[in-house]
Formats: sequence, structure tokens, C-alpha cells
Amino acid sequence: MPTPERYGYATARIRAMERRFVDQGVLQRMLDAEDLSSALKVLGETAYAPWLAEMKNERDFDRPISSEMFHCYEEVRQFVPDPEMGQLLRITYDFHNIKVILKSMLRHRRGQSRRWDLLTNLASRETDDLLAAMESEDYRLLPYGLSGVMEECLSVWEQTQDIVEVEKRLDAQLFRALGELAKATAFPGVLRWFRARVDAENIRNLLRLRRAGEEGVKISEFLHEGGNVSLERLVDLGSEPVESWSRVLHYADVAPYLAEMGEQGSSEAMLVMLEKALDDYISGMLAPFSYTPFAPENVLRFLWSKEIETKNVRIVLVSKTSGLDRDMVRKVLRRV
Amino acid sequence: MEQITGTMLAVLGAALAAGWSASGSAIGIGIAGESGAGVMTEDPGKFGLVLLLQALPGTQGIYGLLTAFFAIMKVGLLGGEPVAVSLWQGLGILFACLPVAIGEYTSGIAQGKTSAASIQMIAKRPEEMGKAIIMPAMVETYAVLSLLMSIILLNSIKI
Repeated sequence: MPTPERYGYATARIRAMERRFVDQGVLQRMLDAEDLSSALKVLGETAYAPWLAEMKNERDFDRPISSEMFHCYEEVRQFVPDPEMGQLLRITYDFHNIKVILKSMLRHRRGQSRRWDLLTNLASRETDDLLAAMESEDYRLLPYGLSGVMEECLSVWEQTQDIVEVEKRLDAQLFRALGELAKATAFPGVLRWFRARVDAENIRNLLRLRRAGEEGVKISEFLHEGGNVSLERLVDLGSEPVESWSRVLHYADVAPYLAEMGEQGSSEAMLVMLEKALDDYISGMLAPFSYTPFAPENVLRFLWSKEIETKNVRIVLVSKTSGLDRDMVRKVLRRV
Repeated sequence: MEQITGTMLAVLGAALAAGWSASGSAIGIGIAGESGAGVMTEDPGKFGLVLLLQALPGTQGIYGLLTAFFAIMKVGLLGGEPVAVSLWQGLGILFACLPVAIGEYTSGIAQGKTSAASIQMIAKRPEEMGKAIIMPAMVETYAVLSLLMSIILLNSIKI
């Protein structure tokens, strides 16, 4: 069983790496910059500088953001004692790639082009290996228990031609695999993070399904087991107005973050603010580990904070391309 | 026979004082060293600060060695003529060495952990070096108290 004592080196190195974070001051300067070009100049003063040269044009800022995140994941992977700690966040990208490959295969059957441009290099498994396993239909080579699920997905697709049904099964497997990874680490904070992650995903799904006009049993099909809030309570929550969710879930840790959302004019604005609230909830759950010097959860906290940082940088740069109101952008920036 | 047993008990006390204290220091320095290596991988310029903090748990080993010298000098095994040590005198020396043996072992490890945490602190806030040294230095107080008690007890044994 993994022990926290082995994290002396890793946690100290992580602490030193935290100095490379883009702080609030830099984000504000980027936000106050006149245009995208000026914002990128400010970004050039940070750890993202080496990757800015990779951009093909000014609007290609996703490339340096991904490169910095990839560099960070690879660096941490090399020194973290338990490989599961690095995979906890990258598994989402593995499943993203699987979905892209599967959808591309299905598109190809209809005579449409494949979308390899949507693949990400942030996944923990080589994209070529996933691609080879999918194209050769040798699903036993797929990781994270996907071998059984993939056959089921293809069978569902043959019967229904409904991609949402396929994605539902893949998402369910993602959270099963994530739960197994969290249990393999055996660190209490990682298990707490997993439960918070399930709650956040369930609440997010709940709002999306409500917007799509779904209710009752249909909603429960998209929810995942293993969170702090029971599935029955979440299904009941579906019939409540969003403004009262924090009151209904008053006993849960997520409640104060939901309360901060306040009332929003439109359902789109509500979804945007909910996304922020749920990200802040998970960041807030991981934050106290920074006061425990050797806690292995600091590795997870660091990687999560880096993910949030890239999200903030992306939000600011997108706002520069689309000319969004600064005050509105400030409201949706996540806490790091 | 009784004199040999008395001398051997005194030697056992000296061995425990030196051995346990050195173990405490080694573990403490090891813990701080792991953190130090982690920080220096990212920022080699902090070598001086890291070395200072890593060296702090080393004092426990020195205190143990000092007590061991006192103990074996007491029975004349280090310079001078060996003296006759009764069973009770030997037992007294053994007991007198225990505060150092236990205190230095425990404080060495505790100081190592605190030094490692301080190394993490200067990794993020190098300007707080003063505070970073004070925290592990607080642990030193109890290492010194253990040494003091062992020396008082050793001096109180008349041979």
C-alpha cells in the first residue's frame, strides 16, 4: 500500500514548481490588455513563453496552452512515486481520445472524413496505441476496462444510431475507472477528491439535462455512483429551481459554492456560472492539503490547479478574440 | 566480575547515546535532504539555504557523541587508567545516558520533518528564510535539554 512518507521529494519539488503559476496579477494584466497580441505578450513573461513560438498564428493559442499542460504532466509523471496520481486527471483525456476515434470511425463508415485534429496529446496512453486497438477491432488492448464497454457501445450504435447513448456508456466507464484509480492510491484526500468530482459531474449533467427538457428516470441514467450526494436526491433536485439547489443540498460541501452563483438571467449564463462554481468547489476541497507538507494529495492539488490555470488563460485569451466584456470575464475566472 | 559488569553497563549507555542520537540525526537529515533535492531540482540557486536547513538535525548526533565521550571518560576507557566501576555505578551511567539516547533520536526525526517543511516554505517564499530557520530551531531546545540532563546525571555519579 502506498505511504505518504515517500512523497518528501515530490511534494518539495511541487512546491518549487508552484512558483511558475500564472498569478492573479498577470491574469489581470492580460485581461486589461488592449488586444490579443498584447495579452500574448504578457503571457510571454510566464512559464508559457517557450511554447508561444509553436503558434501558427495569434489565434492558435490553444497550442502553447496544451504544450505547457503536457510538459507539466510529463514532468510530474517522472518523479511521482505512484503513477496513478498522475493518471487521475489524464484519464479524462484518454476517454476524450477514445470518443474522437470512435466517432471518426463511425463518420468514416458514413463516408465522412475522420477528425484526428480533435485528438489531444494530454492523455496518459499513446494515441497511436488506442488507434491501432480500435482500427484492428482488438478491444482487449484498450485500457481502463474499455474492452467490454466498446463492444456494448458499438452494439448500441448499430441498434439506435444514437451517439448520446454511446457517450453515456463511455462516461459511466470513465467514472468507474477513475474510482478504481482513486482507490488504488488509497490516500483519503484522493478518495474525497473523487467523490467531489462525481458530485460536480452529476450536478453539471443535471443542469444540462434540465435545459434539454429531460426528467426523472432519463436524468438518473446520466448520473454516476460514488459521490457525496445520493442519486435519489439528485433526481429530486431536477424538479427544483436552480436557485434553490444550494438550500436543498445545504448539508453537502458543494452548497456554499452553489449559493455564490446567485441568480442568472439566462440558462446559458447559469451553466457558465455553475461550471465555475463546481471548479471552485473542487479547488476549495483540495486547498487545505497545501498546509500538510508531505501530503501526497499535494500532487493532485498541483495538477488540478494547473488545469484551472490553463482554463483561466484560455478564458482570457478567448475573451480577447471575441471582445467580451472584462467585468463579465472576471466573474467567470476560477480561483487558483 | 561485578566491576566488569559495571564497566560494560557504562559502555552500553555510551553506545546507546551515540547510536540512537546518530540514528535520529541520520533519519532527520535524510528527510530534509529528500525535500532539499526536490527543491534544488527546480531551483539550484537555493543550495545555500537548503544546506543550512538540512544540517540542523545533525546536531543531535554531536550531542550523543559528546555524552558517549563523557560516559567512557567517566570509567577511564578514554585516556587515563581504567577505574573500578560497581554494578550500581554502571547502571547509573547507563540510565544517565538514556535522556540523550531517547531525546536526540526523537528530536532528530522531528527536526528533520520541520526542516523539510521549512525547505518547502523557502521554495515558495525565499524571503521568509528567517522564519524558516526559527521553526526547526525550536525543536533544538529539547535536544539541548536532553543533553543537559544526561550531563547533570553523569556528573552526579561518584566513582
